[in-house]
Amino acid sequence: MWQLVRETWQNRELIWALAMKELHVRYKRSALGFLWALLNPLLMMIIYTMVFSTMMQTSIPHYSIFLISALLPWTFFSQALSYSVESIVGNADLLKKVRVAKSIFPTAAVLSNIINFFYSMVPLILLLIVLRFPFHWTWFYFVVPFASLVLFTLGCSFVFAIANVFFRDMAHILQVILQAWFFMCPIVYSFDIIPGRYRPLFRLNPLLYPLNGFRLAIYYGMLPTPQSVVASLAGGLVTLWLGYSLFRRYEDTLVFYV
Amino acid sequence: MSDRSDSGSHVRIVFEDVVQRFRVIRERPDTLREAFAHLFRNRTSYYNFEALKGVSFSIGDGEVVGIVGRNGSGKSTILKIMAGVYRPTAGTVKVSGKVAALIELGAGFHAELTGRENTLINGLLLGLSKREIRERERQITDFAELGDFIDSPIKQYSSGMYMRLAFAIATEVDPDILLIDEILAVGDAAFQQKCMARIDDFRRRGKTIIFVSHDAVSVRKICQRVLLIDEGRVVLDGPSDQVVARYEELSQQPIGA
Repeated sequence: MWQLVRETWQNRELIWALAMKELHVRYKRSALGFLWALLNPLLMMIIYTMVFSTMMQTSIPHYSIFLISALLPWTFFSQALSYSVESIVGNADLLKKVRVAKSIFPTAAVLSNIINFFYSMVPLILLLIVLRFPFHWTWFYFVVPFASLVLFTLGCSFVFAIANVFFRDMAHILQVILQAWFFMCPIVYSFDIIPGRYRPLFRLNPLLYPLNGFRLAIYYGMLPTPQSVVASLAGGLVTLWLGYSLFRRYEDTLVFYV
Repeated sequence: MSDRSDSGSHVRIVFEDVVQRFRVIRERPDTLREAFAHLFRNRTSYYNFEALKGVSFSIGDGEVVGIVGRNGSGKSTILKIMAGVYRPTAGTVKVSGKVAALIELGAGFHAELTGRENTLINGLLLGLSKREIRERERQITDFAELGDFIDSPIKQYSSGMYMRLAFAIATEVDPDILLIDEILAVGDAAFQQKCMARIDDFRRRGKTIIFVSHDAVSVRKICQRVLLIDEGRVVLDGPSDQVVARYEELSQQPIGA
């Protein structure tokens, strides 16, 4: 773990530059450029809101805010993973030519999506203003669930990035996993609608806690219990530790497989 | 990274019995399906290929050493171990000082980004700090003769501009040890001359240079000492005239004979 902190610190300029490059390349050739970072979550939200509040007649008030408060962190998670799964294989050319700490590639992929996440907060803020949603001080609390979400995401990123080196199917499998995972999380629905006997099962989902933390702070204006905060931070740290340990094991040999 | 300057007696690179084994997989299980198939059939589908079979040598500070050998002899593997890209399977390697590898130029160049943006990323990859890159941007642009093109995406560069930019960044690192692999094979005569001038400059400043090439003429011109590698072993290590002559003899034979 210290190794990771040290490598990240030593390569901070490089990681930043790689993350910027990724964002740059992502938006460069499009007419609207960086605006897509704002438009994307907005359009997604409009679609889901239309589906759930008109077609499925959900009774949740301010459904758009209810939805987007959990959809944004989810989008961060799924995009960060989709980028990092390719981060080692996609940089194969580079790895075979220069000596460089391998951990910087998944880290940069996650970082670029952290930046993207903050951009995507803009439509949320606009929505809160436009709908005159009552202000809660708890809004600022979102950084805590976000921190645990980042730790968890980074841990998963290491696992998928390294797995994809040895099994190129991982990139495809990941998309299926994400699709299923999306519906396992209370994003478009509320946790309350899950029948009591299935709840213990859903509670095993480590994403539940940071996503709920977001929704609680932004939509309900409440703070999570200290236990659940500790649990989600600890879960993030453990995932990161496990993911990075796995990554370390194959770090020196992966250059022969990419 | 040590940076002692007691030049002359100071040894820069030591290889002791270095073995590099690659696991070459016949029909590698690239997908899960294949991996499962192999699991059930349970037969070894890989073999070990030894690119280096116990290579030993040492190179002192300020030496200019050529490495020659036929295709697949292990030259580039040696260079990649020196650069730290590969970790050898067995044996010990000691490299002291800052290394710049002109192995394949333009590592991490992205076609959509401008010359300036690529300079930053490439420079950071080669171990410069952001400040150092900003300070040297002028020199890099000048050497590469880019002018206003520095702010255009490099996909619009001519191949000459591309090479000049990559070479300029790599040599701005100001290394103690410079590794050069076949770069002179590309680019026009003017570019080659420019590169040679810069390499000469490094030599005059007492830097250690390792030069890998097929080209007997340029090896003879640049290096005092040459290692001849064949089938993963050092066959001959000595003054360049003698080794290059032996290399030319060997080149006449088919590989594996």
